[in-house]
Order: sequence, then C-alpha cells, then structure tokens
Amino acid sequence: MIDKLKDRDALTLVGSVLGLGLILGFIGTALAPLPDPIGPAAQQFADGALTTIELTLVAGALGLVLGVVAAVGKRSQVLPVRWLADLYVWIIRGTPLMLQILFFFLALPAIAPQLQLSEFWTAVLALSLNVGAYNAEVIRAGIAAVPSGQIEAARSLGLSSLYSFWDIVLPQAVRISLPPLANNMVALLKDSSLAYAIGVVELTMASSRVQAESFRPDIVLPTVAVVYLLLTTTFTQFAAALERKLAVGKR
Amino acid sequence: MRNGKPIIQVENLRKSWGNFTALDGVSVTFNEGEVVCIIGPSGSGKSTLLRSINHLEPHNAGRIVVDGIELDDDMKNIDAVRAEVGMVFQSFNLFSHMTVLDNITLAPRRVRKWGNEKAEKVALELLERVGLSAHSHKYPNQLSGGQQQRVAIARALAMQPRVMLFDEPTSALDPEMVNEVLLVMRDLASSGMTMLIVTHEMGFAREVADRVIFFDQGNIVEQSNDPAGFFNHPAHPRAQAFLKQIKHAA
Ligand SMILES: Nc1ncnc2c1ncn2[C@@H]1O[C@H](COP(=O)(O)OP(=O)(O)O)[C@@H](O)[C@H]1O
Ligand SMILES: [Mg+2]
Repeated sequence: MIDKLKDRDALTLVGSVLGLGLILGFIGTALAPLPDPIGPAAQQFADGALTTIELTLVAGALGLVLGVVAAVGKRSQVLPVRWLADLYVWIIRGTPLMLQILFFFLALPAIAPQLQLSEFWTAVLALSLNVGAYNAEVIRAGIAAVPSGQIEAARSLGLSSLYSFWDIVLPQAVRISLPPLANNMVALLKDSSLAYAIGVVELTMASSRVQAESFRPDIVLPTVAVVYLLLTTTFTQFAAALERKLAVGKR
Repeated sequence: MRNGKPIIQVENLRKSWGNFTALDGVSVTFNEGEVVCIIGPSGSGKSTLLRSINHLEPHNAGRIVVDGIELDDDMKNIDAVRAEVGMVFQSFNLFSHMTVLDNITLAPRRVRKWGNEKAEKVALELLERVGLSAHSHKYPNQLSGGQQQRVAIARALAMQPRVMLFDEPTSALDPEMVNEVLLVMRDLASSGMTMLIVTHEMGFAREVADRVIFFDQGNIVEQSNDPAGFFNHPAHPRAQAFLKQIKHAA
C-alpha cells in the first residue's frame, strides 16, 4: 500500500520534471500552427518561457541556500549575526521587489562599477535575495518545529552540533517547510516577470513585444496566461508529489 | 558486580535555574558493571542528574568525571563523554525521518567513522537482540511505543557505550508494553552493562538493582546496596512516605 503510494508519487515527480521539459521543448511547436499573431511568434514565446524557467530555477536554488543561511542566522546565539539576518529579512520584505530589481540594475553599478552583471544575472541576484528572505521565515519556523528531544538524542549519541543540524534538523525542517517553500517558488516564477523592467527577455517581455507588434492584446495576453498556468501548475504538482513522498515516515 | 572500578564520579554537583535549585550539591560514584536504580518524587532532580552526566544540562558547580574525562566547557571532552555514555529517554526521541536501521547506524557512522557494512551488521545484531529484526526498514511512526523504545535502546547500544542512562524508559508506555522494554533492560543488566536507571517500576528496581538511590529535593537522601532491604524497610522518613504513596497508587 505504502509502496504503491510511493511509486505513484515518484511517477508524478519524474512526470512533472519531464513535463516541464516537454512544455519548454514543445511550446514553440504547439503554438506554431495557431493563427496570427500567435503562430508566427511561437519561437519568441518559447524562448521567453525558457528564460522565465531559468530565472526561477537559478534564483530558486540560490534562494533556498540563502533561506537556510538566514534562518540559521536568525537563530544564532551570536547577537550581531542575528541582527544581520533580521536586517536582511526586514529590508527585503519591507520594500517592493521592483525597487530591489532597479536597485541592483541602476544603483549597484554606480556604487560598485567593477561589479558588471548582465541583465539576466542582475535579475537572478535580486530575485534570489528576495525569495531568500521569504524562505528564511519559512525555514526558521520549520527548524523550530523539529522536536528538541530528537536533537538531544543526537547530541547524547556524540554527534556534533553540525552533524545534528545536517542529519536531523535540516531534513525535517525542509520537509515541514515544503508547502510554504513551494508557494514561494510559484510566487518567484510569477515575480520573475518583473525582470522585464530591466530588459530581460522573459515570457512577459516576449508577450509584450508580440502584443506591441500585433496590436492584439486580447489574444496575446490570455495566451501568455495559459503558458504561465502550465508552468505554475507543473511546479505545484511537483511540490505536492514531493511532499507526499517525503511524508512517509513522518510522525 | 558492584565491586568494579569507579566509572562516573560526581562531586558536589549543583544546578539551578534562576533561584530554583534542582541539584543541591550531589556527590555520588558509580562503578563499572553496577546497575543503579534512582527513585524519588517527580521534580526531585533525577532527570537533571542524568542529563548533567551527558552534559545536556551544563552544571553550575561541582565536578563530573566520566571514565577519566572531566566534563568541562571543552566541547571535545563533552562529545567524547557522550560517545561513551548512551542515553534512553522517556519519550524515545527516535529520528522520525529515518528508518529504524538508519536511526541505529547514524551515530556509529558519523562519530565512530564505521563503514556502512560494519554499522549495518552491528545494527542488525542489536535489532535481533531487542527482538525487532523484522522491523529494520520501518519508520518510527510505524512502530508501537514499546518497539520504539527498544529501537532507542539499540540505537544507544550501537555506539558501544561504557554506561547506559535510562530516564524513566517505560513511563510513556501503555501498560502492556512495559514488560517488553524491561525484558531488554534485564538482559542488558545481566550482560554486565553499567546502568543508571531512573524508574517508577519498583518491582523491576528491586529485582535488577545492585544499588538503589532515593532522591528528594535535589539531593540523595538515602542509598542502599540491599534493594530488597531498602524497599521493605526504608530508613529515611521521606523515603518511607514516598514508597507508601507508590504502594497506594499501585
Ligand atoms: N529547563 C528548566 N528550566 C527551569 N526549571 C527546570 C528545567 N528543567 C527542570 N527544571 C526543574 O528542575 C526540577 C527537577 O527536574 P527534574 O530533574 O526533571 O526532576 P525529576 O526528573 O526528578 O522529575 C523540577 O522542579 C523542574 O521543574
Ligand atoms: Mg524526570
């Protein structure tokens, strides 16, 4: 029974990763036969979707690492470390993402001219710092939810604090945080559309161009919405399957 | 059995939280191969004593020396002592995201640096010993309380400790599961393991203990190398009152 469940979830996991690849690979092919203005611009949509996914996956991975680091910082015994983590989360969550993207695009080169980042990597920097701050809150709560008795048991076996964190706390904290982390990832996918403001040709930028050339927002924008929905749905399916799969053995 | 060399020396141990004193200058020596049962009313500091020996609670004053290593603020000493001292908790505290086998092999692999093969071999032998060979690939939530506690004992034993500490190992169990855990502990006691057991199972204490210690208000009030004699005729009035109360409850 449990094995069957696990298998179905494993299938969904592999399926959604493949699905994402398929969607990206065949978006162009699927859109091409459609009438004007969609068909001729199919490749632009496909390239835009690919950039959107790249932004999401790269910033998402960095944001996860940042989230863990900031969450640990927030729980640190060392006061300045805690202040730094709190300051980071406070600033990021208290200011608009658009402003943050503009800051890294416009202000950062003025402050540190040797830091010459492309538009894509500027967007990755801003997005990962942003999602990292939201992840930090979620992971901090996840860490706090790991039963302290298990940590004591680990320490009483002679495991160092590092191993106790790595082997006992982190896996369970991530598992507990998975649903809200998945939410953050989906939000990130949608937020990546703001990279449009600094000239990254992601899905929204691509659609804006097609729309401007064709003067058919009534057709172009709903089409893009469908592509976004395909992508976000694949993400949520993946997260749900992952959550079920990891739930085996929980309490 | 009780003539072994001293393995744990506690001298004038003090522990307090704010102005509440949990351990009020406890001095006691535990010997190799000895089975010591610690009894006493709830809140008297029994858990705090065991937790201090594993440095889960840092003490405020006094000394604890385990197998020649003094527990001070040196993390190296603390981890060295912890590796030699196994602890079994009232609430099992199994790692809920790991299988039974992984629960047992984790510390030997990480701390003793054993390879997978050796760690698993030892783990499977221990599971056999606690009667859970068939359950190695289950998760803690798929086991009964008694089974979980037996896994917890196997997990502690896998580190091949010199001493085992038990903090009310059967208090969280349904009555029908108490015996399976006591059986494992009895087996362990007869194998010569040094054991400190905080328990409310007076029958068990009388049967396996080489020495009984009665704890009250943060200190040892009475101890006896003759458990049967102690349980029949406790000397101290507080021990008399406590045992009377327990008998009434049972
Ligand atoms: N972390 C703590 N903070 C404050 N008081 C504590 C803490 N841990 C234990 N105590 C107090 O210390 C006393 C002794 O506790 P404990 O050693 O657990 O007693 P026992 O195991 O004999 O029931 C109790 O009164 C308890 O409330
Ligand atoms: Mg206690």
